[in-house]
Parts: sequence; C-alpha cells; structure tokens
Amino acid sequence: MSASPRSMHGAGPARLAPRLSGRGSLRPTLRRAFASPRLYLFSALCIVIMALMLFPIVMSLLASLKTSAEASAVPPHYFPSAISFENYARVFHYQAGLPTYLFNSLAVAFMTIALCLLLAVPAGYGLACFPVPAKEAIFLVLLLSLMAPYQALLTPLHRLFTSLGLANTYLGLAIVHTVLQLPFSVYLMRNSFEAVPKELAEAAVMDGAKSFQALWWIFLPASLPSLVTLTLFAFITSWNEFIAALIFMNRETGFTMPVMLVGVRQGHFGAVDWGAVQAGVIISILPCLLIYLLLQKYYVSGFLNGAIK
Amino acid sequence: MGVSKTLRRGILAAALSLAAALSSPSWAADSLTMWVRASGANAAQHLVDLWNSGHADKIALTVIPDNQVVSKLAIGVQSGDVPDVISFDLIYMPDFMRAGLLTDITDSMKGDPNFAKVAPAYAHLATYKDRLYGTGFTPDVSILIYNKDLFRKAGLDPDKAPTSLQQIHDDAKKIRALGPDIYGFYFSGSCPGCNIFTTSPMMVASGAKILPANGDEEPLAGTGVKEVLQLFRDMWSEGLIPKSAQTDNGANFAATFKTGKIGIQGSGGFIISDLKKDAPNLDFGLAFLPGVKEGQASAFVGGDVVAIPKGSKHSDIALAFIKWELTDEAQLEGLAKNNILPSRIDLAANKYFQADPRIVTTAKAIGIGYVPWVFHFNDMVNSDSSPWIQMIQTAVFDGKVDEAIAAAKAKMKEIADE
Repeated sequence: MSASPRSMHGAGPARLAPRLSGRGSLRPTLRRAFASPRLYLFSALCIVIMALMLFPIVMSLLASLKTSAEASAVPPHYFPSAISFENYARVFHYQAGLPTYLFNSLAVAFMTIALCLLLAVPAGYGLACFPVPAKEAIFLVLLLSLMAPYQALLTPLHRLFTSLGLANTYLGLAIVHTVLQLPFSVYLMRNSFEAVPKELAEAAVMDGAKSFQALWWIFLPASLPSLVTLTLFAFITSWNEFIAALIFMNRETGFTMPVMLVGVRQGHFGAVDWGAVQAGVIISILPCLLIYLLLQKYYVSGFLNGAIK
Repeated sequence: MGVSKTLRRGILAAALSLAAALSSPSWAADSLTMWVRASGANAAQHLVDLWNSGHADKIALTVIPDNQVVSKLAIGVQSGDVPDVISFDLIYMPDFMRAGLLTDITDSMKGDPNFAKVAPAYAHLATYKDRLYGTGFTPDVSILIYNKDLFRKAGLDPDKAPTSLQQIHDDAKKIRALGPDIYGFYFSGSCPGCNIFTTSPMMVASGAKILPANGDEEPLAGTGVKEVLQLFRDMWSEGLIPKSAQTDNGANFAATFKTGKIGIQGSGGFIISDLKKDAPNLDFGLAFLPGVKEGQASAFVGGDVVAIPKGSKHSDIALAFIKWELTDEAQLEGLAKNNILPSRIDLAANKYFQADPRIVTTAKAIGIGYVPWVFHFNDMVNSDSSPWIQMIQTAVFDGKVDEAIAAAKAKMKEIADE
C-alpha cells in the first residue's frame, strides 16, 4: 500500500472528506526501510501470515471444484484431477434455489445494517456528547443483551414475534440480528464520537450549528471509519447468523444462506457432503469479500484523516 | 461533498430497505407447509412432487437441519406457529407423543386398509397409551455392505458376505493384507447415531437387549454386547480399522466406503443410491448385519415417520396426505421408483426393485429389524456424551470392555428412571 497521509501543505483548506494524495512524508522512511535487510525478514513474515490465511480458502476452492467422490476421498487429494462444477450446481439448485436464499440473506443483512445505523448513531451521539442523566447506567443496560445468551431468548422472542405478526418476515429476523449487534454498535459509536476533538464541535456551535447539524457535518464525517466498521460487522453478523434464522423463518423460501448451507451438506447420520460444503463456503465468502473491498477505501481514508488531527 | 453524499446514499438505501421490510418473503398463499429433516428431504421431495401433480391443495416442503428439528418444533408448538404436517426421525416419536406435540389420528387411520400393511414397527412406535399419532413415511434400515472388488483381490468369494462376527474378523484380516491403505473394516467411532444404527443390531442379533423402556428394565442385557465390543476392540488393535475411525463423528459415515479402500462396513439402505451416484464403478454387495452365531441377523429400523403437529391449520388435508402416502401410487411411484424403500411390507418386492436384488435385501431387512420404543433416546444414545457412545469408545479405543459396559449400564438406568 503506497498510501500516505495528506501533508499539511496538501490540498488547500481542510475538507472533511479526505483524499489520498499519494505524495507525502512517509516515502523516504519507506525507502530507508526497503534498503534494510530487516525488510526481507518482514516480507517473509508477511508472506507466511498471508499463506496461513489463504491456505484454507485456496483448499476450499480447489475442493469445491472436485467431483463429489473425489471431494470425500481419504486421504484427501490436494488438487482436483478434473474440474467439475457439480458441487456448485447442487448448491445452486438445492430446494428453493440459491438466488432465493441469497436474496433473503441480503435483504435481512441490509435491513440489519439500516436498523443498526439508525439506532446506534443517535444513541452513541447522545451518550457521547450530551449530559444525559445516569448515562453510565443507561450504557450498561444497552450492553445487557451482550451478556445474556440469546439462544435462551429465542422461545419468548418467537412467541412475541408471532403475536405481533413479525415471525416469518425479513423485518422480524433483522430486528433479532440488530439486537445482537446493537450493543457493540452503540459502544463503537459512543467511543468514536467521544474521540472527535471538542474544538471542532465548538467551532460548529460558534457558527450557529444546531446539534443535528453538528452531527451531520462534523461528527459523522469524522467518524466515517466507525460507521464503516459498524456496517461491516452488522453485515457479517447477519450474514452468518444461523439459529435465529432457522427458528424465526418457517418456510423454505424464507431461509437464509447459513440454514441452506447446513441443509445442503447433510446426509444420513450426519454424513457430510464435503464438495457441497466447500462450494457453499466459497459462495458465502464472496459477498463478505465484496462488501469489504467496497468499503475498504473509506476505512483507510478515514483512518488517515483522523491521524492528522 | 464526498462524505455527505455517501451518507445520503446510505440513508436512502436504509429507507429503501426498510420499505422492503414491509414485504415478506414471497410464498404462495394457500399451500400447505410440511417440515422434513434434511437427510430425509430427497425422499420427501419425491412424494410431495407426486402429490402436487395430482391435487389442488399444494404442499410446500421446508427442510430443517437434522439436529434442529426437535427444538424448532418445540418452539413452534409453543408459539402456535407450526407446519400443517411434519416428518421426522422416528426415534423421537415417544418423546413427542408424551409431550403432547402431535395430533391423535387413531380414528381416521384404524379403518384404512393400507395402514394395516405398514411395517408393524411403525405402528408400534407411533402408539402412546393406545392412541395413534403417526405412521411410517420414508423408512431406512441398517445392513452390512462389502466391497466385492476387494473380496476378489483377497481371494474371498464376492457373492458370500460374512454371516457371523467371526467371519467379519477373518475377512477383514485378509483384506487388510492387500495394502497399506486398504482396510478390512470401518465404523464411525465418534458417531452415536451411526453405531446404534449399525453396531447395535449385531448385539441384538447375538441375543442382547440394548435400551430400557423404563427404569425397571435392564439396559445392555445379554452377552452379545460384550462379544461385539470385543470384536471391534480386536480389529482396532490389529490395525484392521483406519485410525480416522476414532474421530469420525459421522461426517465420513458414507464417504469412507466410497473411496473403495474399505472391505466391510455397517451402513443403511440409503447407501445404494448414494454409491450408484457418487462411486458408479464400485462393485459392492449387501447383506444382513450378523450376530455371533451363523444365521443370526438383525437390523435397526430407522427412517422417518409422518405426523400432524398440534395447531396445524389444515389438519384435514394433512390427514388426506398421510392416507395418500400409504396408497400403492405413492409407495410405488413416489418411493420405489426412486430406489427408496416403501413403508408397506407387502410392496417390498415390486417391479422397480427387480433390477437390483440389493434393494430387495434392504426391504427384507425391515422385516427382521428392531426399533426401540424409549423415552430420552437423545440422552441415552444420540447426544455426543451419551453412555452409549462412551461405552463404545472406552471399550474399542481404550480396551476396557467390561468397565465400559458397567458404566454405561449404570448411566442408562439413571436416565431411564427420570
């Protein structure tokens, strides 16, 4: 990564939206580092770590391309003897069909993100910047749902949702996922808003900004990396969540990816269809990867933006 | 304006998705819902497709992962959100009936001529306090499978399956001698379900009684228990079983045999279609699971039952479906045609099974098989720390056969007393 923080003489008046100029004071340091033999050690370490991280994914990809007999071979072969897409076909055509499960998962995940943002941002802002009475107690209560194992709450929640007509709906499941994700989100936003320099907020107030305007023009842009983190974590939580997705949805056409992936691999007495598992793993990684890559830009730029304040 | 634009877009997306939230996942308004466990989904799908092709009231199938069926149904019944009809692992029938989760169908089924022809094990299992709560749906039964190619290479007669425990041991030794990666025998050493299915029938065939219906009955009674465990222990210490068997929690219950490197293994009727599909070149034979003495044999009758949960909104149509699935049409065109065993014993030998005598063997195994009518099957057998699986592991892998049996007996009695 050749990105470097924007230097003070960079691009005119400080705008809150950062741009990476690509030229900066880090360069000479890097050059010195490149010259040092320590770099080789460092690179070797990076390559080892990368290999460790990538190995399972590559093996998964290779296994997903094997025929189902080869995928379950003991001892396993590292490379498929022939490329076969039968595992992907099986996952694609399983019961209601992959597009249905993908759509359900995405719908619930995006609703979870929306709900998390809508709730955690005002909550975090209030707790960070306003003299709320019994602030710490409220914060503790917000964290409570982290402390109770949510499996224990499923039965009462399901009864409640059924009577409210929320069982079997995307919104119902998204609410459960939001509940799971909200404590972390509020915690994150509160810390992030607290880290915004008071001078900036005061300057905004001096200019006549109301509290909502200060949130919109000062706090949110300054906390972009936290918003991105929140989005990413909410997505991943919802995307991977299994037990609530199974309990709250009652029809095949309502199930999300994790439920489908458990079903598609299941044979008699827990026998596992390894080929289908690996194809499912690869398919379910893709959206997470995609959303990370899409958001990464804001992640990095926001981080550097904060660094020069 | 970079950031605020992004934010605005985000908020727009949030608003849009909230609007979408008002809509539910799309499904037809008036179809019946049926739950089935994942490992029975294939058979159920054939039946449901056949029903849907000839009936105005359509059934939509929902596949539940095997391990979650119990909790999902229990939660569903409590909140009144249940399917119209459900099929599940037959072994849970006593617990479900006692818990009051199912609808009494005694009066509607007693006069049904097809019901009388269903394998008696199902009627026995689905009866609680003289009332009937379900019937057989998609049966499965355990059998012994062996690799005929390996039998030939080892100089054994490929048409002569082992018919006693001693023969299994002898044949396994000869097959193991074929090469370093060829093994005589296989079983899933950490899979309680696989072993009640394939190992317990060898004990039952040898005269043992495995599970107690109540606290007064003696669990694991008879010498067959020890004889089978000792055989497995001997084969394990002689290296006739691959090391991977010790940790196999069932994930490789079917996969290992498909590699063609296992001589003999206990398995189920489902393996026929699996092997034909995944390992078409593997020449395999089927036989009953034997006991100590020549001629002794047994099987575990498994598979799924079908029932109507309490709170079903279309119980009349659900009942019509249950009656229909016992007709010749459903049993032959829905099941037998797709290489699946019918639950009616009078249809065991049918035109679709003529081509492959191996399927007839499994269909016949249902006739000699047993199915335990017990509460707490999960605690006694199916859970990962059950006395059943602990006994097998301690006896086979640690070699403490007598201690293992004594400990399991005590624990099972304790569970049955509850």
